[in-house]
Order: sequence, then structure tokens, then C-alpha cells
Amino acid sequence: MKAANKPKEKFRKRDLISWLVMLPSLILFAFFVWEPLLENIRLSFYSTKMYETVAFTGLKNYNLVLHDVDFMAAFKNTFSYTLWSLVIGFFVPMIIGVLITETVHLKGFFRMAVYFPNIMPSLATIWIWSYFFLPGATGVLNIIAGKMGMGPYEWLNDPRWTIPLIIITLTWKSAGSTALIYMANIASISPDLYEAATIDGAGIMQRIRHITIPSIFGIAKTMLILQIISVFQILYEPMIFKNGGPNNASISLMMLMYRYGYRDYNVGKAASLSVLVCIILVILSGIYMRATREKEN
Amino acid sequence: MWFFDKYNDKKDGVIRGYDIRATKVKILALIIMLVCLLMVCVSLFPALWVFLASFKDIKEFTRNVTIFPEKYDWSRMLGTWNAFKFTKYYKNSLIAILGCSACAIIFNGLLAYGFAILKPKGHKIALGLVMWSLMIPGITSIVALFRNINLIGLNQSFIPIWFSFGANAFWVVLFKQYFEGIPKELLEAAKLDGCGVLQIFIKIMLPLSKPILVVVAIFSITAAWSDFLLPYLVLNGTDKTTVMVKLFSFKDTPTDAVSVLRAAFFAIIPPTVIFAIFQRQITDGAASGAVKG
Repeated sequence: MKAANKPKEKFRKRDLISWLVMLPSLILFAFFVWEPLLENIRLSFYSTKMYETVAFTGLKNYNLVLHDVDFMAAFKNTFSYTLWSLVIGFFVPMIIGVLITETVHLKGFFRMAVYFPNIMPSLATIWIWSYFFLPGATGVLNIIAGKMGMGPYEWLNDPRWTIPLIIITLTWKSAGSTALIYMANIASISPDLYEAATIDGAGIMQRIRHITIPSIFGIAKTMLILQIISVFQILYEPMIFKNGGPNNASISLMMLMYRYGYRDYNVGKAASLSVLVCIILVILSGIYMRATREKEN
Repeated sequence: MWFFDKYNDKKDGVIRGYDIRATKVKILALIIMLVCLLMVCVSLFPALWVFLASFKDIKEFTRNVTIFPEKYDWSRMLGTWNAFKFTKYYKNSLIAILGCSACAIIFNGLLAYGFAILKPKGHKIALGLVMWSLMIPGITSIVALFRNINLIGLNQSFIPIWFSFGANAFWVVLFKQYFEGIPKELLEAAKLDGCGVLQIFIKIMLPLSKPILVVVAIFSITAAWSDFLLPYLVLNGTDKTTVMVKLFSFKDTPTDAVSVLRAAFFAIIPPTVIFAIFQRQITDGAASGAVKG
């Protein structure tokens, strides 16, 4: 009995020490991630003055947000952002990955170059792009278009183009890293598959369609959901480019939250909007978890 | 021809060594090469442009319809650097980065050590919570977080910035995956030699985990350099302003275009230098999905 008890006791002490080792990190997670999430839910039910809660108001904040004209615009824009990021952002990295795999010269340089925009601070790239999109003759893209005998264009000032152009800058920045993930997956495809297909008479296009694409389909699904999740967080681009404009054409949900919180100092309203966004993200994450689990099985 | 000979040794991808004999495939290979070169131009052009544009003065910038500046005058750059006191912002950014990177390694590493090796009773619950926070971006609760920072009186201090990097679910997962690959026999042997839990971490785990430490160090350094929403809220208006906070504040203060561009140029120098030195580690880390998000 005693002999059996002893290791168990020791085990408990080890458990305690282990938890103590993990405790500082868990406190940080609690302070920076978990508590603010719960705090948000609490705040969303209160009216606030600066950072103090004043009175419990139930669902009033939600009501205010849902009937806000700006919210309707931001909500509509989110669909537009998602749609454009599917059209532009989803296929570009895949194409880049396939193309670079098919080169034998300068491959390392290509990998490095397409990843480079990723390493640049997003704030700096947003400023740079904002000068690319200047509507006058001195805007960089208008200079280039002018050399080809076109333009000048209005770029971001044209509300039909604001969101697609923002998505293009986002894709420019992040496509390289996704392309590298696709490349790693393509490289792990067994050459035997291609050789067998060749013997069966498959041309290059057929091999891409029947071997490469199906092999990266699993990871592409994951990337798609991650991309949609990140689209919900767009904040800095619309804020710095046109401050949500022209005429709310590019305002995003996160930007509206920032406005509620730091322009209107209405913490309750900001909190209820972020709870709404969180609910959407949790649903999307659930889908993501399911997709990755399927991949593992 | 040398250009096509190398295709004979091609190991991955659709085009195989035997395909390249056909003229059609040769043309295709050339087209792919050209498209890739074009992609390189698109990727690198904005950085190159901001470098060139930084040499222009405001008259040249607003009037001349050219990409290249009239002359390469470093004193203009230096003028903006001094006028905006960039030495101070660089110093502040350095302070922020060092703390952030240290926190990222220590706290995420220790937590991953708990999840991967120690596995105390009930660790699965904590792991589940960490995994879920992977999915809900911290930016959604920035208002509540900033309120909390205010309430405990840590506003206008580097401390919340540093510690915010100690709670990154992504790096926890990265560390955890690596730690799980370390042979258990080594750890058992150390335990028999009487090493405590922390001793094993410092003497066995860390020396064996150099590659992952380098990856997390590099990515946390570049992330800390680019980080600006929390630093902006916490540090704006103090003498602790970092480079990104300054760059963000141009949004609200009218500044001439050339100064903003030069500031943007100053902001991309350090990450570019780090990338030039560690490009292998960075692209390999990115290829394994180490920095998604």
C-alpha cells in the first residue's frame, strides 16, 4: 500500500510544479486574450462613460449598433471584401506557387522576392500604396498607366474600385507566404504520379488538373477559411487610405469598432460590435477546425 | 542550350526532365520564367520606389512625372531623420523589440514545455483554451484590453507591449510541435540525474531547440517592429513613441508627402536587413506555416 501511494504523491507534487511553470504564461493569456473577451461581453450590456460602466442597459447597445447606418455599410462591405478576396486573394498564391515550382533557374531568388512584401511593416506599405493610388498625374500608377497611353484613373476615389484595390494591396503583401506553403505541399507530391500520368498520355495541363490541384486541395481549403477570417479583421487599410470612404464605401467592421471606441469613446457600443464579430469568427473557426480535422484523418 | 539542360535534374513539379525536349514545353518554360520575373518586379517595386522617391524634394515630388529622382542627395534624408527625431523612435522601437522578443520566447516556450512534456493533470483544458484563442484575433477585444491596461495603471509604459507578446497561441503551438520531437530518453535521463523541472527546460530543452528559438526570435522581432495598434494606444503622446506609432500618427497630423515617404523608408530598413541576413530561416519558417496570420 505504502509503496503504491508514494509515486502517486510524488506525481501530485510534480503536477503542482508543472502548473507553476506554466502559470506566468497562463496569466498573460488570461490578461491579454481571455479576460478581454469576457469583459467585452459584459461591457456590451452596459452604457459607459469613458472607461467606466454607468448602468446595465441590456441589449440597447446591440440595438444601437444594428440600426446604425455605418454598421449597415460596414456589414455590406464585409461581404464585398470577402467576395473580392476570394476572387483575387485565393487563386493568386496558388498560381504563384505552381509557377515558381516549375522554374529551375533562380528558384531561391523567386521564393525570396515574392515573400519580401510580407516582411515589410504593413503600416509602411499602406503609406506607400496610398501614394501609388494618388489620382493626379503624379500618382505612381498613373505615371505607369500614362507611359502605356492610358489614364489617369481615380483609383481609390472611385467607390466601385476602393475595396478591390484594397484587396489587391493585401494580396500583394500576403500572397508570397501562402505561395510558399503551397510550394512545400507541391514538392511533396511523388514524381511517380506524374510519370505514371505521362505514360497514360496526360499532357502538362492535364497533370496540373488531375494531380497538382487535387493534392493541394486540402491545404487550399484551410487557407480559404484562414483568409476569410483575416478579411473580417481588415482595419488599417481602409482607415489610412480613405478613412473608410469615399462615403463609407470601404468602412470595415473593425474600423467601425475603432471609431466607436476611440472617436466616440463609446466603449459599450464598441464592445457589442466586437461581440457580434466574435460570434461570426467562432462559427467560421468551427468550420475551420472541422476542415483541418478532416485533413488529418 | 544551358537554359533547358538544367530541367533534366528537376525534382518536383509538373514539367519533368523528359518533357523539355518538346518545343512547346520549352516555350512554356520560358513564359513561366518571364512571368516569375514579372512577379519579382511587382513584389520589389514598391520598396524600390519608396527608396528612390525619398530622394526627391516636395516640389520635385508633386511636379515631376518620373520614377527616378533628379539627384541622389543623402542630406535630404538626413534632414527628415533629424527633423522628426528618428534616432529616438528607433531607440524606443529597439527597447520594445528586445522586451517583446524575450517575452515571446520565455513565456510561450514555458507554456509549450508544459503542454508537450510536463503534461500535468488538466493541461488539456488549458490547451483547448489556447487553441481557441488561435482563432479569435486579439484585435477584436482591443477596446476591453486597453480599458484593463488603464485600470491597472500600466498605460504609457512599455510593460503591456512586452508582455502582450508572451501570450501568442501561434508560437505556443510552434514550440509545442518542436518539443514533442525531442527524444524522451534524454529527458528521462536528466530526471534520473536529479534535474528539476526548470533545470531540464534550461539545460536540455533550450539547447536542443535552437532552430525553433531562432525562428520565433526572428518572427517576434519583425512582428514587434511592425506592431502598432496597442503601442499606439498605450504609447502615443509619450516620449516612448516607436517608429510605427509615429508612422501611424501621420494619419491625423497633416505632413508633407515626402516626409511621410521618408519615414516609411526608415521603417522598412530594419526588417529588410533582417530578411537579407536570415532569408533561409524566414522563408523555410513561412513555408512550414509558422507565421500564418
